[in-house]
Amino acid sequence: MTALLETRGVWQRFGGLVANSDVSISVGRGEIVGLIGPNGAGKSTLFNLIAGVLPPTQGSIIFDGEDVTNLPAAARCQRGVGRTFQVVKSFETMTVIDNVIVGALVRNTVMREARRKAHEVLEFTGLAARADVLASDLVPAEKRRLEVARALATEPKLLLLDEVLTGLTPTEAQTGVALVRKVRDAGITVLMVEHVMEIVMPLVDRAIVLDLGKVLVEGKPADVVRDPKVIKAYLGDRHAVGA
Amino acid sequence: MDKDFAARRRRDLIIAAVLAAIAALTPLFVKDVVVQNILILTLMYAGLSQSWNILSGYCGQISLGHALYFGLGAYTTELLFTKFGVLPWFGMLAGGAVSALIAMGLGYPFFRLRGHYFVIATIVIAEIGLLLFHNWEWAGAAMGITIPIRGDSWLKFQFLRTKLPYFYFALALCCLAWFVTWWLENSKWGFWWRAVKDNPEAAESLGVDVFNSKMGAAAVSAFLVAVGGSFYAQFVSYIDPESVMGFQFSLLMALPAVLGGIGTLWGPVLGAAILIPLTELTRFKFGGSGRGVDLIVYGTLIVLISLALPRGLLSLFSRPKKTGAAR
Repeated sequence: MTALLETRGVWQRFGGLVANSDVSISVGRGEIVGLIGPNGAGKSTLFNLIAGVLPPTQGSIIFDGEDVTNLPAAARCQRGVGRTFQVVKSFETMTVIDNVIVGALVRNTVMREARRKAHEVLEFTGLAARADVLASDLVPAEKRRLEVARALATEPKLLLLDEVLTGLTPTEAQTGVALVRKVRDAGITVLMVEHVMEIVMPLVDRAIVLDLGKVLVEGKPADVVRDPKVIKAYLGDRHAVGA
Repeated sequence: MDKDFAARRRRDLIIAAVLAAIAALTPLFVKDVVVQNILILTLMYAGLSQSWNILSGYCGQISLGHALYFGLGAYTTELLFTKFGVLPWFGMLAGGAVSALIAMGLGYPFFRLRGHYFVIATIVIAEIGLLLFHNWEWAGAAMGITIPIRGDSWLKFQFLRTKLPYFYFALALCCLAWFVTWWLENSKWGFWWRAVKDNPEAAESLGVDVFNSKMGAAAVSAFLVAVGGSFYAQFVSYIDPESVMGFQFSLLMALPAVLGGIGTLWGPVLGAAILIPLTELTRFKFGGSGRGVDLIVYGTLIVLISLALPRGLLSLFSRPKKTGAAR
């Protein structure tokens, strides 16, 4: 079976800065893949390239068998790419349910159906009790969850999660992990950028480590964390020698 | 929850119908021409502000150049009438169509601008329009156009002896603008507009066509405002660039919505009901020398509102439900 998402030799330059160089990764259907790496490794850039915020300087992005390299974000959403933002971007003057309805309108043109879908998603993500609250009144953990709910309402094939578990209390993070598993069990492929290794490693099927814009290592989480190159990237040379 | 929502929508519709019915009956009790005049203007500005609110309130693209569309409606109607004998009823539709097209033509470059830059562009464009009409000989230039009045006629929509037809037209316009807003509020467009206003980037990631959302809002908004302009031209039966395209119209469309509650269904009507009588009364009281006093009055009002109730007067009535943090 072909991969759901593939990046082929993707480069992204911002002036003289090379954020991604020759990145080729693939994500299979039904996988949870973690995209990790130290600060400035180019994770967010790669993420934005996949979501269609900007086109890559070079290379191509294949989603579900189709070259989507030059498609804008909205068109990728219609094809089944859902995403969250690292810095939450709720529609602050709208209620929680209305936020989610915006997402649901991608696949439901009749308002009543979009509304029903939105309620369904709120139920799924555990936000049902907060449906009529303004998004601006949510606590941070709920806002993260709303990001996920909104993206899920678009009925994506691939869900891109940008640091949804970062900055949460351990309990909140555990609920988040449970939600990600639930999403995968619903048949949605997940690609997540994450900082917190101890949370993300048990969760993902496969980890891709980026460093200085390149793919450093790729493999099972248990192998990846022991890889000397990874330890070196995170902690520096001195620690790598002992490994 | 869905039931609550449907009930709220129905309640809004019923309140609107009741208010419209009450308004329709006022001429039975109000015979004073000056007061009738104020009522007509209030209804007209309520409708205009409601239309402005579609682009600027719901979609968040603040325009201070809607006088352009108002003027275009007035000029299209009267040029067609005086030069080609086209009845104002058709002129009205033509004016609306011209304005909607121009709004989209202008939107094409300017919707790439954000925030203050967009506002500045709208002001500048409206001023350019004003200057063009000032210098356009065929359209009467600075002299303007006097509409020939040949007695009362529904066909030509002109009346000498009574103001009632104007009153009912203004009421109908106000109702139309309100109803269009009500209807669009719970449509894909309504949700897209609010999403675009709150966060265009997030909207895009959810499949919203941001650019076309703005174009759609601009077209609907400009069309309705132009119909208002056509009406106004018939009502005053003389137009010149300043009197239908002056900057004050841009303000008088924006202020009621801001005062009442920008981006809300009832804000513009509420704002107009307070602001326009106040403006007209002060102008009436101070006569010709008072030009400017009205501006001082509602300038003060706006400052007070934005300090005390930044979301408009409406926020006094319907505070959004706040429940404590979950769990």
